[in-house]
Formats: sequence, structure tokens, C-alpha cells
Amino acid sequence: MFISLLKEQIGSDKVSQSESELYRHSHDESPHQAIEPKVVCFPECSKDIEKILNIAYTHNIPVTAFGIGSGLEGQAIPIQKGISLNFERMNNVVDFSPEDMTITVQPGITRLQLNKLVNRHGLMFPIDPGADATIGGMVATNASGTTAVRYGSIRNQLLDLEVVLADGTVIHTGTHAKKSSSGYHLTGLFAGSEGTLGIISEITIQLHGIPEHTLMARCTFETLEACAEASQTILLSGIPVMRMELVDATSIDQVNTYGGYDYPIKHTLFFEFAGMQAAVKEELKLAKELLHDLGCQDWEVASDPKEQKEVWKSRHELSYAYTHIQGTLDTGADVCVPISRVPEMIVYARKLIEESGLKGGILGHIGDGNFHTIVIFDPKIEGEREKAFYTNEALAIRAIEVGGTCTGEHGVGLGKMQFQEAEHGAAVEIMKKTKQMLDPTGVLNPGKMFR
Amino acid sequence: MELFEELQQVLTPERVTKNETVLAQHSRDESYHTPHLPDVVVFPENAEEVSEVIKLANTYQTPVVPFGLGSSLEGNMIPYEQGIMIDFSLMNKVLEVKAEDFLVTVQPGVTRTQLDKELKKHGLFFSVDPGADATLGGMAATNASGTTSVKYGIMRDNVRDLEVVLADGTIIHTGNLAAKSSSGYHLNGIFVGSEGTLGCFTELTLKVYGIPEHTAAGRAAFNTVHDAVDAVIGILQAGIPVARVELVDEHSMKQINLYSETDYKEVPTLFLEFHGNEAGLQQDVDFTREIVNDYHCQELSFETDTAARNRLWEARHNAAYAYIHGNPGKKQMVTDVCLPISEMAGAIKDAREAIEASGLVGGIVGHVGDGNYHILLMINVNDPTDIEKANEVNERIVDYALIRGGTCTGEHGVGVGKQKYQEREHGAALNVMRKIKTALDPKDLLNPGKVIDLD
Repeated sequence: MFISLLKEQIGSDKVSQSESELYRHSHDESPHQAIEPKVVCFPECSKDIEKILNIAYTHNIPVTAFGIGSGLEGQAIPIQKGISLNFERMNNVVDFSPEDMTITVQPGITRLQLNKLVNRHGLMFPIDPGADATIGGMVATNASGTTAVRYGSIRNQLLDLEVVLADGTVIHTGTHAKKSSSGYHLTGLFAGSEGTLGIISEITIQLHGIPEHTLMARCTFETLEACAEASQTILLSGIPVMRMELVDATSIDQVNTYGGYDYPIKHTLFFEFAGMQAAVKEELKLAKELLHDLGCQDWEVASDPKEQKEVWKSRHELSYAYTHIQGTLDTGADVCVPISRVPEMIVYARKLIEESGLKGGILGHIGDGNFHTIVIFDPKIEGEREKAFYTNEALAIRAIEVGGTCTGEHGVGLGKMQFQEAEHGAAVEIMKKTKQMLDPTGVLNPGKMFR
Repeated sequence: MELFEELQQVLTPERVTKNETVLAQHSRDESYHTPHLPDVVVFPENAEEVSEVIKLANTYQTPVVPFGLGSSLEGNMIPYEQGIMIDFSLMNKVLEVKAEDFLVTVQPGVTRTQLDKELKKHGLFFSVDPGADATLGGMAATNASGTTSVKYGIMRDNVRDLEVVLADGTIIHTGNLAAKSSSGYHLNGIFVGSEGTLGCFTELTLKVYGIPEHTAAGRAAFNTVHDAVDAVIGILQAGIPVARVELVDEHSMKQINLYSETDYKEVPTLFLEFHGNEAGLQQDVDFTREIVNDYHCQELSFETDTAARNRLWEARHNAAYAYIHGNPGKKQMVTDVCLPISEMAGAIKDAREAIEASGLVGGIVGHVGDGNYHILLMINVNDPTDIEKANEVNERIVDYALIRGGTCTGEHGVGVGKQKYQEREHGAALNVMRKIKTALDPKDLLNPGKVIDLD
């Protein structure tokens, strides 16, 4: 049996079938159905991964990678059981070069752990999806978040990946040089492949200098369109915002209820400006002028860290405010559209939520055209789940129609598989060929991304 | 019917030619690599025609090679196996400027300066600047970059979507218009830099930027290359958003002074540029002054008015011509390694020693913010010993870079010149690349013999 083989080859302390472990590896943070793996492995080095994959390949056992379970589309759910690969014992820094502003880490290290290490050197890893996800998981889903307006997604920050392929071969997809025109760009291919093409065992990342100065601000508008248009004006003015977030009035209300706050129940824009002090001050001044010309209200600025936390609080506590509602689940869209289409898309999203009759809010990384809906449903009430999922579907289809994507940062997993043909057209065939070529027996995270 | 007639039928007789002059124009690039004539050159006007041409290539089992402007440096499009050359010069329209989305959609034959002229009307610019006025199709094919990539990224970072005609004539889109996506596999990245070996680009959607409010350019003279590189590391670590930072070694400064009639100090020099708002720029300049002084900068001068700035950058951009001008009858062999910036000073020192040892004339210029530098080696292409010496220099510096985690090519691409280093640089990953090539182009019709050696 393959489990005894696993124990024999990598050590029985790295193999678990305990009930609690099987349960922990059966789900992520999404409402997708939980399924337990047969066994959980805790590799400690690339060699272990290689051995596990060799066994999986020979015995045709599915292998699903698991970071910390903060995924939102069921990527880590082992729907065909088999082996769940947990990287918590591979969370070390392999190499750190402050002069090059690069760091090589194992996949199990989390975003906050990494930042704690590099912040001391005046450096930062800027990608911030909110959750304290593992870097491996973030690479696998091509995560981004509130800072994508300036730094893009994690794919833009990668120099090299060590990947163990389905047949156990270990490859490096890049080098430690900042750019390269050598060979085909495999780094970009493996980033966002959700464990379907190979298992990422080491990651080399580009870091950035911590900005000298940061200012945060918040303001409100009467309508969602006004918010979207204001954010566009800021982008067109050339202000290089670090973060620009939208939270709709429904969500502010929810945060107030949950946290006992009294923020104005209006559509709110949150800003972060970061850079050299003189530049940031001027950016803030210009932004204030532009936003006031557009009729913003409740303008507030914070410069010291304590005030800053306060100003952004209602944004940060948002998802908890919703998940706090007893007995309910939530689901949400993750569309990303060209900036010019954001206003109409947000209005459409609001309309879909209204029509569903469910409670829901809109929040977004409006600076990069990516926004989310959070729709609350009670799984015990018939029809609610379907209604909630319908809002996602309709929004994803509209996003594709206007030249955008069904997923800006959460990935495909189980939830966005149905949109792949619509979004990629004939290119899906190329993607399937790629999968077929790299994982001919289909052991790597089967049943995800493509049907 | 023969291939030639069929091509004429699919396009028009005027847009299919075997004219010797035209064939000769399509036989070479700007490199020292040996020219080779294609069988026929075609000038399609749209993706459907490109698709028809490729379908015919399938029928006749004939290679197809895309051609931009011939400004490549590694023989990337020299048709060594003959066949059909697709010239994109008639597909040179800027199709749509989406100013609000900071996007532009162009045909592959549009050149960089042509695009910038169009974008200027909208207060926008395209950031990738390899020096040559290359076509955007060609720039995407080699994943070009250049002086501005330290701030704005390389070609691959700025391609949102490509329309690609595949080896069987299928037309696909590799991306979309959204700023980011986690949907499907990232085909944009694979096709950018594939040098025509996986498909032919027929449309590109590119990210563009607002023209900066203010620009300042400066020149900083140092005692040693080491000091200059350390100063750049300091600038980057401080988070100063430098838009360009170029290193020119003392030999090249001498050559520039001769050619551009300037009287710059003939020492290792950084050329710098900053983009931003007025107050921010002033702070960038002040902070940079502090940092370079820590590294014993001999002289630092800044220019903010346009004419003076242009003069400064013209001098830098003319470095290559300065060498050509100063060495009549010779051609340039340009190296292109890129390595971690902390290894840069050592690499340049070694490169200088390599040039001296070879006895050839050569200058060193570098996009030091990226860790990418070039040796401009002057060689007589008809003299085998010159070629051999140049190859020795190249071998040595590529070795130096690969051992230290670098790459054999930062921005020129593989073509034929860098193929011999692919195995060493990519190891087992080269097999994955071979598989990709085979899966997408099973008959090996697309720019055969380039990038990936299938044997």
C-alpha cells in the first residue's frame, strides 16, 4: 500500500492519517464541499517531495498541495483524495541577499513571517492579499491584493521557482538575475498553476525598499459610480497610490454593527500614499483637491501609525464583519476589469445583489480594476446558495464580456472552472496541452482549473 | 500549384516576393551572425492572412520566420532553414488608444517611436526603450527591455494580451485587458520572449504610462566601478524611484567625448533619470546626492530643462555609435549577461580584464539597476581570429554570470548566439521548454533552430 511506502521512504513522522489532520486538510476558506485526503505528508525538503511524487506517480495517487488553507476557490481541497502535501515544515529562508533585495524561501513561510525577517533590513515584500497566506500558496494562485495597483501580482515579483515535476524531476524556472530573455518563461507559467503542473519547493522573490513615508486617507461619496469615477481621476492624474480601496455603504453598515463603530454609512474610498516624504505630501495635496472637486465628503487623513490603523479599520475588519453572522456562509466574486469599465460593473454588481434578495456588499481593489462581492447565504434555506452563486456567475460572465477576467487574484480552483472556455477561447486547448504534457497521468491536483 | 503561387493567391501577387534585394534585406539583423536568404518574403495585412500563410507552410512543410525590422542582435530571425519570411511592415497600425485604461492595442509592425508619437497626443508614453527603433512585435518576441526597466519593467511586464497565430493556423488570445488575472495558465509570459518559435504575434495590447509631470537627469562621476555600483545599490535600497540608471565605464566615456564632443570626466559614470512631481523630484535628487557622496562621487550634475537632458542622454545612447564611428570597417559584437546586482562590480572588472586579454577594442555600458551590462566589442567579421577572440570574451563573461546565478541574456534573446548556453543555464528545465515547443509546434515549422535546440 502506498502509505506504508511513504512512511518507509520519507519517515513515518512525516506521514499522518490522524482524524484531525485529515479534517484540517479537507477544506479551505471557501464554501466548496470539504473532502478529506487519504493521508497527509509533511515534507521537510525537496528530496522528500521528490520521493512522494515518485510514489504518487508510480501508484497513480493524486497529490494536492496545501499551504495554510486560506484559499477561496477550493484549490487545496483533495477532491480525488490521495495525498495532501503540507509545507509547514518547509518554512525556512534558504538565502537572503539584502544588497540584491532578493530572498529565497521555502513555500511554507507565511507573508507576515517573511516581512518580519526582511523589514529589519529596511526591505519589504509588498504583496498583501489580506490573509497571512503561505508564499507557496500565494505563488500557486498568483495572489495579489491591496497593493497590486503599484506592485502587480506575485507573479511580477518572482525571479525563480524550484519545482518538482510530476515525474520527480527538479527544475529551476529562472535565475537570480532581475530580468532574462533566455529560453521560455517558465516562472510565469508555474505561478498561478495551482499545483496542477508541479510542486513548488523553493521561491526567489524580489523585495522592495520600505517607503520613507506613508500617509493614509479616507473619504465618502453619495453613489458607487462617484466612487469609481473618483478613483479613476486619481489614476489618470498620475498619482502612484500604494493602495486604493472601495467599500460600499452596506459593508460599512455591517462593520459598524460588528465592531460597534459609527463610521458614516456611505460608499467609502480608502487611500494609502507611500514614497519619499516630499512626494507623498504633494500627492496627498493633489488627491485632496481632486476628490473635493468631485464632491467627496468626510475627508480624513492620518499620518501616524495609530491614526492610520483607525482610518483603515473599517476596511480591514470587513470580511470578519460578514463571516461573523451566525449560521451563514459567504461567497464572493473576484472579477477584474479594465479600469474604465469599473463604474458600470460595480453598479451591475449592486443590482445583482439586490435582485438576489440576499445580504451582500461590494469591496474592491479599485485601483487595479479588481473587486469582490460578499454575498451571505444560509445553507439551510432552500435556494439561497443557488441565488448567491448566481450573482457570482453573472458578474464573471459580464467581466469577461468587457475584456476582463473571472478571477483577478483568487484563482480558478473549482469555482471558476466553468468560465475558462468563455474567457480563454481557443487558448484553453493550449493550456490543456500544457497540463497533459507536464502531468500526463494527471496526479497533480486533479479536477482543478480545467474540465 | 507551387507554394509561391499559392501564397500569391492567398495574399496578392504584389505582397509576395522573391526579389533578390528584398530577400537580402531579410537575410540579416544587426548582429555579427552570418546572413542567410529566405525563399520568399510575404507582407500580410491581418491575422487571417498570417493564418493562411502558416497553413500553407504546413502543407508544404516549409519554415516560417517572422520579421520586424531586423534590429535584433542574436540572429533571432535569420532564416537559416530558408522558407517563408513574414514581414509585418504592412501591419503597422496603432489600433486603439484606451487612455482611461492606460492601454494601447497595436499591430506588431508598429515601431516604438511611432507609438510614442501617437501616445504623446494623449499625454501617455510607452516605457520600454531598448535604444533601437524596433517594432513592438519584435520587442515582444525577444522580451526586450533597456534603460527604463528599473522603474517600469521589461516588455513581459507590459504586455497585457497578444493575439497569436499558432503553428496550425489557429488564432488565440493569451491574456485580457484586466490589470491582473489568476485565470488559467499564464500564456502571455510564455509567448513573450519566444522569438517566433511558438507562434506569430498579430496584435499586442500594451500597458502605457502617463508622461511624468517632471523629469530630472543627472550624471555622477566615480573613482571606480565598484563605488558606482554600490551607489546604485544604495539608491535602490533607499526606495528612491529612479527611472533610469546607466553605467558607462571610463573607456566608453573617452569614446563618447570623442564622438559627441563633450568634455565629461573620463571615469566610471552613472547617468541617472528621475520622474515625478516637483517636490518629490527635488527630494529624490537631494537624497541621491547624499548617497553618491557616500561613495566618493567626484562630480554630480543635474539637468532639468529638456534640451540639456536630451543632450545628456544622447551622449549615453550614442555610446555604441561612438565605437562604430571610432573603428571604421568593424562590426559590433554585443554581449548581454545579467546577474544579481551585488555581483555587478566584480563582473565588470572581470569583463574589462577579458577585453584587455583579447586585445580587442571594447567598451562597457550597463543597465546597472537591473544588473544587465553589455560589452561593445569591435570586430572584423571577416577575420576568424577576431570572431574567435570575441567568442572567448563572451564565453568567459557568460560563465562568470551563470556561476553567480545570472543569465546569458538579459534582453537580446537567445536566437542562435546564446543557444549553446541554454543547457547550462536551464538544466532540466530545458526539457520542459523542449516539450512546450514540441507540443505547440510539432512539425518544427516556426523559426526552426532558434531558442530551443530540439536535438
